[in-house]
Amino acid sequence: MSIVVQIASIIAPLFVIAGIGYIWGRSGRPFDTTLVGMLTLNFGVPALIFSTLTNLDVSPAEFGEISGIFGIFLLANLMIGALFLRLFRLEIGAFLPALSFPNNGNMGLPLCLFAFGDVGLALGISVFVLMSTANVTIGFAFASGKWSLISMFKTPFLWIIAAALIFMGTETTPPRWVANTAEIIGGMSIPLMLVALGVSLSRLEVRDFKQSFWLGSVRLIIGFGLGVLLAEAFDLHGIARGVLILQCAMPTAVMNYLLAARFDREASGVAGVVVVSTFMSLATLPFLMLFVLQGQ
Amino acid sequence: MAIVGVLSAIVLPVFLCAAIGLFWTRSGRDFDSDLVSTLVYKIAVPCLIIATFSKVRLDFSVISEIAVAAITIYLVTAMVAAIVLRLFRLSLPAYLPSMIFPLVGSMGLPVSLFAFGEKGLALALVYFTLGAVGTFTIGAAIASGRMSLGNLVREPALWAAVIAILMIWLDISLPKWIHDSTQLLGGMAFPLQLIALGCSLGRLEISSLGRGIGLGVFRLAIGFLIGWGVAEYFELEGIVRAIVILQSGMPVAVSNYLFAVIYKREPEEVASMVLISTGLSIVTLPILLLYLL
Repeated sequence: MSIVVQIASIIAPLFVIAGIGYIWGRSGRPFDTTLVGMLTLNFGVPALIFSTLTNLDVSPAEFGEISGIFGIFLLANLMIGALFLRLFRLEIGAFLPALSFPNNGNMGLPLCLFAFGDVGLALGISVFVLMSTANVTIGFAFASGKWSLISMFKTPFLWIIAAALIFMGTETTPPRWVANTAEIIGGMSIPLMLVALGVSLSRLEVRDFKQSFWLGSVRLIIGFGLGVLLAEAFDLHGIARGVLILQCAMPTAVMNYLLAARFDREASGVAGVVVVSTFMSLATLPFLMLFVLQGQ
Repeated sequence: MAIVGVLSAIVLPVFLCAAIGLFWTRSGRDFDSDLVSTLVYKIAVPCLIIATFSKVRLDFSVISEIAVAAITIYLVTAMVAAIVLRLFRLSLPAYLPSMIFPLVGSMGLPVSLFAFGEKGLALALVYFTLGAVGTFTIGAAIASGRMSLGNLVREPALWAAVIAILMIWLDISLPKWIHDSTQLLGGMAFPLQLIALGCSLGRLEISSLGRGIGLGVFRLAIGFLIGWGVAEYFELEGIVRAIVILQSGMPVAVSNYLFAVIYKREPEEVASMVLISTGLSIVTLPILLLYLL
């Protein structure tokens, strides 16, 4: 199969499913993003993480390696982003999360799955676990201006991840009824997240295109650059390398807009970065996939 | 003990997902049923049909075998139920659809998948599609008093079924990206259907306990007996036999309640039947599976 067809068949489902959401949003039909967000964040995503990690497609060592490297990426990205924002006199509290937290869920997971199969999804999830924990703690702290660890322990998220890590660490499989339940509930997360992404893209407005364009470019370039550098530095190969670079180079996560809107931190500016960086990423995705697949 | 593990792996996921929906409404949160049913019936279920039939290649002989059995079951159930309801002087437009159309979607499909794998799901989908066609034509006709084919043509599940038949007939396999897209979108069907089922159940109330129990037990009993009888008559074997009896033995479908509300045919009574028969199925479903496995 030629590489063009291969890349097209990896990317097409993403466009089809997000496209359904986009058309839905444009048609003006009501779409309750809060309901869909609650269903995915409270049930779908934890179940998906649980069933993927307990399927043992990755070993605890591989899980630790890729999430450790991704942790280094996040720190480096936060530092570079802060310097950049200071240089251009933009508000760090508002824009640093948008520059640092990529869309590892909605966009990253389906790409990892379609490009690298179940092992790709499992590695993509390992990264996503760390990212979403960082996003709800550090991102929350930046946007709200205070640290709150208690709120994290109230969500089922961490508990389910902890349970999955215990099963993974001890290399035991959960009872069939738990596995089956997690599998069907988890099955709704990727499509619902992608449809919701499409709806958000159709609804968010870009007020200041120039600023959104520059900030979006910075996100994509820092992400890709750091991803490639870290993959070289830690001598990653094959699927692990591909997943790391893909996940680092994703556009700004929609979550950043939700947090900015909740704490009233330049929400319209962040919305612009989300929309512009996502469209830029969709346009450059074929090249990113080519780079990632050929370097295997 | 092994059988407990096997049964719980099939039954618990279904009831746990429905429990999420039940707690969701009982805790007073909003649940936009229109949004979820559009996602399920316009997008997820049609995709599930296409994705399943592109993976599982059923022979036309098997498809016609289960289709004939399903249609026979629907017809025989309709006749038996009509006679019994008439005998007890109960209104046919209000009660008959609930007796004929069981929960072959939200409950029947995931149970078939967990109990009999992908092939079981494919067979259960044939039964389900016929039931959906029946619900939208005959079910709506009984409740509303007139026949309309307009709804049917607008039903994406039917279009998906036509595509599935063409795929088998012309032996087409789907391009990878269409398969991946439909597979992923189809994955929303079970969790969303079950959560929506739980939400609907959470909103319903039992107004007539005695009659509800009577009709609920009656529905589950004739479902099993007619399913078994038809399977024996057509000498069905293996998975086909199991799926026919399983689908026929499901409780009253929630869609009957929706029709009863739209056409004002004693919705409270129908709600009682739906709730009680679904509640009873927590007990009867494991027993039914024990017999079939």
